[in-house]
Amino acid sequence: MSAVVVVHGGAWAIPDELAEASVDGVKAAACEGFSVLKRGGCAVDAVEAAVKVMEDNIAFNAGHGAALNTDGEVALDAMIMDGSTLEGGAVSCVENIANPVSLARAVMEKTAHIMLTGRGANMFAKSIGFTTIPTESLLTEYERKEWEKNKNWVTGVKDDFKTQWSHDTVGAVAVDCAGNVACATSTGGIRNKMVGRVGDSPIIGCGGYADNFTGAVSCTGHGESILKVTLARLIISHIEQGKSVADASQLSLQYMGERVQGAGGAIAVSPSGEWAATFTSKRMAWAAVDSDVVWYGLEPNQRLKEQLAI
Amino acid sequence: MLPVVVVHGGAGQIPKERSEMSTAGVCRAARAAYSILQGGGSSMDAVVEAVSLLENDPSFNAGCGSVLNVKGEVEMDAIVMDGKMLRSGAVSAVRNIANPVQLARLVMDKTSHACLTAEGANQFASAMGVPSVPQESLITEYSQMRWKKNLTPDADPVECQMGKMGTVGAVAVDGEGNISCATSTGGMLNKMEGRVGDTPCIGSGGYADNNIGAVSTTGHGEAIMKVTLARLILFHMEQGQSVEAASDLGLAYMRSRVHGLGGVVTVDPRGHWAVRFSSRQMSWAAAQKDTLHYGLYTGEHYTQSINAH
Repeated sequence: MSAVVVVHGGAWAIPDELAEASVDGVKAAACEGFSVLKRGGCAVDAVEAAVKVMEDNIAFNAGHGAALNTDGEVALDAMIMDGSTLEGGAVSCVENIANPVSLARAVMEKTAHIMLTGRGANMFAKSIGFTTIPTESLLTEYERKEWEKNKNWVTGVKDDFKTQWSHDTVGAVAVDCAGNVACATSTGGIRNKMVGRVGDSPIIGCGGYADNFTGAVSCTGHGESILKVTLARLIISHIEQGKSVADASQLSLQYMGERVQGAGGAIAVSPSGEWAATFTSKRMAWAAVDSDVVWYGLEPNQRLKEQLAI
Repeated sequence: MLPVVVVHGGAGQIPKERSEMSTAGVCRAARAAYSILQGGGSSMDAVVEAVSLLENDPSFNAGCGSVLNVKGEVEMDAIVMDGKMLRSGAVSAVRNIANPVQLARLVMDKTSHACLTAEGANQFASAMGVPSVPQESLITEYSQMRWKKNLTPDADPVECQMGKMGTVGAVAVDGEGNISCATSTGGMLNKMEGRVGDTPCIGSGGYADNNIGAVSTTGHGEAIMKVTLARLILFHMEQGQSVEAASDLGLAYMRSRVHGLGGVVTVDPRGHWAVRFSSRQMSWAAAQKDTLHYGLYTGEHYTQSINAH
């Protein structure tokens, strides 16, 4: 059984000035996830590690570099799911946390619940000694400027997305040598979102889903559209019906475009190591490591490869 | 066959003395929703009315009568979904609101978002002019007694949860063939502060699609989320299964894969409906063709004229 990691840095109209940093960022994240698998880590370890790398990278809208809500605050959503047990963990609207994906994992492993929100999620973080950091340290000059520019723009999110200027989510899927699959997704959400807005990312079946019998998926794109079609679960159901991970992703994204006029992207992996990175947005930074080869791309149908540096 | 509405008052196991109140409550909700449908109202109006009545009824774990979290407070979750456009609205961990289902509908109708949580949801409520109610008005003696009982170290909230009816919900198809669902809950007994269950999560607590049907779920929330129960049942219907068979397949899978119990109400676009549960009881009622249907135990199915009282 071959181990595979696939990551995405969000499906949106990535501006040219962020293009190189995004591609470098997803490659670094995929390599980190893969090295965890090579050292004997499980799929859950790998997706957590990969997403953390992107949360720590200010080129992406998650953790450091996250988008601001209407009050100019950073409120983060994340989820993780273990395909061997269907156990999941999620946090929504959490503040002052550098790596929400790790907090989501703690919810999965240390509570009887799957999802914690708002202040309750922060109280849980404190109770387990999770490090908190000041909001300012999650803010970037870039996002503060975007917020200033947009803060009086009442029409908000949908128009924002239509101009293809919605900064998005990061995510990872992996299959380990034992055939276990996992997914993780993390985001700062949509720019100038309402206080308390929860998108698709922390919702099981929307932002991600993982099941050892079918595969794992992490989604990105217009959150409200992904919710409407429960995109991750929809892709998994097509895989269940015998479709390849690539066809299942393509069909589901096409359906989302036709039924609810939403653009987005998804990465998917099957328990046998088949994988795909698919999007209907203008661009999506993605990378995969499969048998010591790094695959990556940004533009539609772009598929570059290089040997994994050892 | 149209219009039709099916409501549930939660899956679980209730003391005999409380079972009559539960049955009366779901019957009242089904009647009220049916009369909206008969008057030409939309399926969305019908499910929101049914769930609002159940929220106002202290017999159910939603709105007034919600279970308390570990700190003895009420935090509620709710969702609505419109099967025509696949639009939805949800609130999670919201406080001091009498009817979370109505706030969920406002999220759907008045914002570009699908879910608002915690303080943000409450801020939105005040912006919309939704009155804030004191927490005490949502707490009953019964919910307080059960909260205290479950603070003991050997308590098992999941097991005990089944001791009260869970979540409430409704699905409906109106005369124009539009399908909606709504679900509302106080969540899980003695849950952690900020815990969000299946109810406000689209595809888990409910899902509606005019092309397939609608489902509202109840039961062990974490298990329902793991299998995205509502969407799972609708996938089976897309594959050609009947409302009963699809519901049974979904519930059986949840039981075998993640050892979870629960119940569902399901409709399809032609007005076929099903009430299925793997828990011991689920109070439910349905209204169709001027007939009221209701029951509580597995296999129980009473009918009477909708106008009889």
